[in-house]
Amino acid sequence: MDTDHIRNFSIIAHIDHGKTTLSDRLLQRTGTVADRDIEEQHLDAMDLEKERGITIKAHPVTMYYNAKNGERYELNLIDTPGHVDFAYEVSRSLSACEGALLIIDAAQGVEAQTVANVHLAMKQNLHIIPVINKIDLPHADIPQAKQQLEEIIAIPADEAILASAKEGIGIEDILEAIVARIPPPAAPKSTALQALIFDSYFDTYKGVVILVRVFSGELRPGMQVKLPNSSKTAEIKEVGSFNPKPYTRDVLTVGETGYVTANIKTPREVKVGDTILDARNPAAILPGFQEVRPMVFSGIYPINTADYEGLKQAIAKLQLNDSAITFQTETSAALGFGFRCGFLGLLHMEIVQERLHREFAMDIIATYPSVVYRVRKTDGVESSVDNPAFLPDVTYIDQIFEPIVKAFVICPNDNIGDIMSLISEKRGTVKNTETLDSRRVMLTCRLPMNEIVIDFHDRIKSITRGYGSMDYEPDGDEPSDMVKLDMLVNGEVMDAFSCLVHRSKAEPRGRAIAAKLKEVIPRQQFQVAIQAAIGGKVVARESVSAMRKDVTAKCYGGDISRKRKLLEKQKEGKKRMKSIGSVNIPQEAFIEVLKS
Amino acid sequence: MRGMDVVPLASGVLTLVSATPVVGVQASREPVRSLYVHVPFCAHKCDYCAFYSAPPSGDVIDRYVAALVRELELVAERCRPDTVFFGGGTPSLLNLRQWETILEAMRRLNLLGAAEWSVESNPATVSLDKAKLWRSFGINRVSMGVQSLDTALLERLGRIHSREMVFRSYDVLRAAGFDNVNLDLMFAIPGQTMELWQRTLDEAIALGSEHLSCYEVIYEEDTPLYEQLAAGQFDVDETLACDMYDALIDRAGAAGFRQYEVANFARDNSSGGDYPSRACRHNLGYWLGEPSFGIGPSACEFVDGVRSRNWANTNLWIEQLERGRRAKEFAEALGPVASAGELAAFGLRLNAGWRFDEFQSRSGLDLRIEWKAELEELVTRGWAEWTPERFHLNRKGHRFADSAAELLLRPEKT
Ligand SMILES: Nc1nc2c(ncn2[C@@H]2O[C@H](COP(=O)(O)OP(=O)(O)OP(=O)(O)O)[C@@H](O)[C@H]2O)c(=O)[nH]1
Ligand code: SF4
Ligand SMILES: [Mg+2]
Repeated sequence: MDTDHIRNFSIIAHIDHGKTTLSDRLLQRTGTVADRDIEEQHLDAMDLEKERGITIKAHPVTMYYNAKNGERYELNLIDTPGHVDFAYEVSRSLSACEGALLIIDAAQGVEAQTVANVHLAMKQNLHIIPVINKIDLPHADIPQAKQQLEEIIAIPADEAILASAKEGIGIEDILEAIVARIPPPAAPKSTALQALIFDSYFDTYKGVVILVRVFSGELRPGMQVKLPNSSKTAEIKEVGSFNPKPYTRDVLTVGETGYVTANIKTPREVKVGDTILDARNPAAILPGFQEVRPMVFSGIYPINTADYEGLKQAIAKLQLNDSAITFQTETSAALGFGFRCGFLGLLHMEIVQERLHREFAMDIIATYPSVVYRVRKTDGVESSVDNPAFLPDVTYIDQIFEPIVKAFVICPNDNIGDIMSLISEKRGTVKNTETLDSRRVMLTCRLPMNEIVIDFHDRIKSITRGYGSMDYEPDGDEPSDMVKLDMLVNGEVMDAFSCLVHRSKAEPRGRAIAAKLKEVIPRQQFQVAIQAAIGGKVVARESVSAMRKDVTAKCYGGDISRKRKLLEKQKEGKKRMKSIGSVNIPQEAFIEVLKS
Repeated sequence: MRGMDVVPLASGVLTLVSATPVVGVQASREPVRSLYVHVPFCAHKCDYCAFYSAPPSGDVIDRYVAALVRELELVAERCRPDTVFFGGGTPSLLNLRQWETILEAMRRLNLLGAAEWSVESNPATVSLDKAKLWRSFGINRVSMGVQSLDTALLERLGRIHSREMVFRSYDVLRAAGFDNVNLDLMFAIPGQTMELWQRTLDEAIALGSEHLSCYEVIYEEDTPLYEQLAAGQFDVDETLACDMYDALIDRAGAAGFRQYEVANFARDNSSGGDYPSRACRHNLGYWLGEPSFGIGPSACEFVDGVRSRNWANTNLWIEQLERGRRAKEFAEALGPVASAGELAAFGLRLNAGWRFDEFQSRSGLDLRIEWKAELEELVTRGWAEWTPERFHLNRKGHRFADSAAELLLRPEKT
């Protein structure tokens, strides 16, 4: 298709404002997916996406649309995730587009990720088409959504299209606006190939499937191409697009998005953000993306130690399609052999754990998540510590720096007080308070990252009964009085529970874990002492009293087999327990505590 | 007998868990000296009971009696019982005519004459006629399910008898000439205070029986008592249960009973043998791993190194016997080490513990060598004594007999 008839756009919004549902309607209206084949949130292909009702991966689709002007257009849509953990997917998707549909839930109005995603789109000079969605809702407030659009995002309200993705209202208007308002791909200066890699996934048969946007030249099967980052050259085997299933095409021409395969079996050789060039006539490399760096780390261990190899393979397989996961081997006295894994955030971590469980039938334990600290030793040497176990002895530590985020919290006026105290409870400071409209404010604050990974978002949601939202970005690090909190049973450290916490939080946290452990550690034949200690000083203790006896029941002929089986089962169960300081601790106890 | 969670098998098919030869098989044609007969009927189901028993309906008891005679015929050839035990359920529930049928069949099959022949009875179902009939065929021991002498607690347990019936039945048994009587008691019953327990204990001891069996209430799934516990209607007080067990050992001891197993106490004039003279020999056989036939629905037996169990379904069991075959639900043979482990584990329930030479002659293995680490562990835990000739649990260890057993057991296939 000639570039004049191509439109590339992403759909962006705050979580749940209806991006994927709107994509459904566009797919239907353009006949890309037949009415009878469409499923709700059609593009959310993963079971997990469907079940949780959220988009995790960006999904590209190519549609053809016969506009009112009588012309036929190729529309390349990328549906993006709304959750902050996956913000990098949004910015990559945007780099393949000239425009973006900005969806705003008419009942919720502008929220934190609406603002964050608009900023991303503006930074890339994209044309934004605002869509006020869910106008069918009884509590939809269109005037207010419009006002927020103008006041918060500075987009003229009369540009907004009113729609209901659910009821199919406004779909035609949106399609026409895409054609009319989003510019076609710019004419390239030369014909030499430049194709930006904005995503990739692994296919067992085809190898790495590379998602590209062609900025100049074209891609055809048989071409020799070069991947500058790995200086690998390869022959293109297949090019195609998605409808939303992949289908092959003869060529991807300038301005189009789609996929290519080149029989590449090693995902590492393909770097997202790299530019595919003609091997014989290499053009300049396009600006790529900022490296995504994991922010949250956690140890993942197989419950059954025999599953170690299986777990390794499973994580490696997930990594093929989710390059944001990092992992390396790690050992724990309590949990055995496992992996230190890095994630983009807590949701990402949860999703990876759940996928390991579902797609690979792995039973795992994850240790308490940790952020990455910068540690400066007394000799001036600095290192990054993402595992409390590797914290140097306190006597060698000059200073610990903890990562800080800049967070934006949008909340109703009524909740300002509670949100402020939440922020200070989380050791944060409010830098700026901005009135968004008559009902809401936006607080800009600085917070230690380790305080927001666990439950900050949930707390905001519960304080505001769902009306608050937040977004954040990393903002350097700061010296901080961090201490290592250890949990001990009968004098031995359970490394799985060790964590770095701010001194002011160490004692309450130690007490809470000790109390939880008391609940879950079964009674033994001797007393079990549970202690929380900071640098050797015990700050909390609990004890599990000794078991005084077994049940002295009847035991005659008929009971012998039965009893033996019962006892054998118990014995088997104890084998699977972790023995620490001669205390048997069932795996469930670790899970319970690490979950809380 | 209690319900077991076992692998159900197609009726009549025996699948052995292990095909390895088993200790004792070489003596396979030796007669079996122990016989257990299960009577799966109770007038009413007690709230804590998970034994296989149910109130009888229609002519099921008569059909049961006929089938039982059939099963007796099938085992009689291999069986020369020194000890016989009729358990249940409630054997005393069978009427005179039904008892006569069974006993006559046993006479015909040469199964009379056991040195110890016990019948379990419910205080509500003992009559002088029945007791005399039993005596006349050689039954010489009665075990009475008293459980408690507190009216409220008896009700709590869903028992059908009253405390007066206990005293009356006891007198009836003595009048009929029984000089070997056991009383079953229960402690740690929900609602039972230490005081109530001691009163029951004292009153039971005052009756002057030869034997006492005292069990802690256990909460078996699928019983009303379990449901009540799960629903939080009461709590289990482990400390109290422990104190009650201590009180039991002290009082029974002071009254001249000698404890010989975790839950069993007997009068003694053996002048220092391993077991008191009034110990239940039949049950001793179980703890010492001796072969035994078990007939009747849900009965377990241990013959030629194979443990097996009859169908825990009276109708099914009857049907099979009406076709002339025994109705086995499950069977297993352990490997030599596993069965020695079982022997070690269950034998330690006895106060006498294991004499090393005796254990070796029964299992072919040396307890001191094969289980060295475990024995040392038991001593370290303060539960056991290790003397030159034997190993036995001490008073504290008896409270942990199950944990000790768990330690000694070995995997099935070994
Ligand atoms: N009433 C109404 N509900 C809608 C409309 N559009 C979407 N929804 C509902 O809003 C919820 C979220 O829709 P999605 O399409 O999954 O939202 P999303 O923006 O893709 O969400 P993420 O991918 O998780 O960021 C679903 O329950 C939809 O059914 C609409 O126009 N009207
Ligand atoms: S009498 Fe014995 S066997 Fe019958 S229900 Fe009561 S406890 Fe169970
Ligand atoms: Mg979505």
